[in-house]
Amino acid sequence: MTRERDLDVDAALEAVAGAPPPAPPLLSPELEASLSDLAATPMRRPRRQLAVLAAVSLVYGAGLLWVLATRRDLDELPMGWLVATALGWLLGFLVPSYLALAPRPGAVSPRWQLAAIAAVVASVGFVALGLAIHPMGPSSWHYGLERFGHGHTCLEIGLAAAVVPVVIGAIFLRGALPVGARWVAAALGAGGGCLGGLVLHLHCGVADGLHVGLVHGGVVVAAAALSAAIVPRTTDGRALSSRA
Amino acid sequence: MADAKDLMARYCDGDASAFRELYALVAPRLLGYLAKMTRHPARADDLLQQTFLKVHRARGAYVRGADPLPWIYAIAHRTFLDDARADRRAIVKVGAGDELPEQRADLTGEAAGTRDEPRADPELVQATLDALAALPAPQREAVVLTKLDGKSVAEAAEIAGTTTGAMKVRAHRGYEALRRLLGGKRGAAPEAAAKQRTGGAP
Repeated sequence: MTRERDLDVDAALEAVAGAPPPAPPLLSPELEASLSDLAATPMRRPRRQLAVLAAVSLVYGAGLLWVLATRRDLDELPMGWLVATALGWLLGFLVPSYLALAPRPGAVSPRWQLAAIAAVVASVGFVALGLAIHPMGPSSWHYGLERFGHGHTCLEIGLAAAVVPVVIGAIFLRGALPVGARWVAAALGAGGGCLGGLVLHLHCGVADGLHVGLVHGGVVVAAAALSAAIVPRTTDGRALSSRA
Repeated sequence: MADAKDLMARYCDGDASAFRELYALVAPRLLGYLAKMTRHPARADDLLQQTFLKVHRARGAYVRGADPLPWIYAIAHRTFLDDARADRRAIVKVGAGDELPEQRADLTGEAAGTRDEPRADPELVQATLDALAALPAPQREAVVLTKLDGKSVAEAAEIAGTTTGAMKVRAHRGYEALRRLLGGKRGAAPEAAAKQRTGGAP
């Protein structure tokens, strides 16, 4: 009986699939008008876009750091730790940005699933690493939770650093994300947040676990969440929105 | 005929005739997908136009050498969802006893006298389309893309913006639901299916 029904469904689907495709309507007057004065449009070049995004963002981050000044204890810190942590933040900036911008070979849209994983890993990872690696002492609650409301400066600096890569990425991705836009935007935000974390790593002298974890790492989470909430509306623009 | 990649690249380079060729190549398949999703030919036509308008506006997002079809299908998918959300009437369900909409005869898009190839059994096609229309939109889309449009599960997942695992589950559930619906009719569909299998022989 089941076999009989399987054959029924397969035959039914075969019948529908075998029907000739419908004849499409003529192009709409709006499209015809657009085609009459069609000009060449530069196509998206993801690797070049990534290079531009990274270069502009790093220069901007360096400028921000120059304005804010580097941390006072910079010379006293172990160089290995300083560089390794900076590389960690840099990787956190570059990997999600790459996944947000670059599609797999032969595709138009970025790999939103990998971008989603990168956004989540960066968000959770930098908070956890901040909490785990940095020491916590009696003043932890002061620098961490208690000063979270007062110590908003680090959060603001981090988010200010994240703005540029997110805006550049959003401009580059206009029209490229009919699906998965929110996750790609989250990855852009997480990448930008990591740039903010890099700036804070070189600016903020507070090395307390709660502060670094919740505030510096929190920048990644906040930037990813804000980007996911805002960027899809801008990447749609007039291009993909049905409300256009 | 040139392939979609070349046509898309030429179109982005400013060749309007390449767009027309691309439209001729892609629009029938896309219209078939939209017609099966909406079950309303006029709405499917409208969504097709909207989809190509969006493709036109977003053509700068195209990456040279990439296959534009999954991207265009994803835009159509998104356009359908936006439209369905805006107007719940986008999905027209036709019950077994209901009179068919007049446009239904245009689903193939050709006048009956102009076809050379043998047509599928209209009764079976109708019963299947009715059953498809009764499926939830995600399952219907999964069945349409994987079983009717010949897309792989990965391609269908890319178009619908979901994971391959989720698409596999949707397609399976859709197939099972379709089997129940068609089997449950005990009337036109199984008989028509049997007729289809035997080529109409008694």
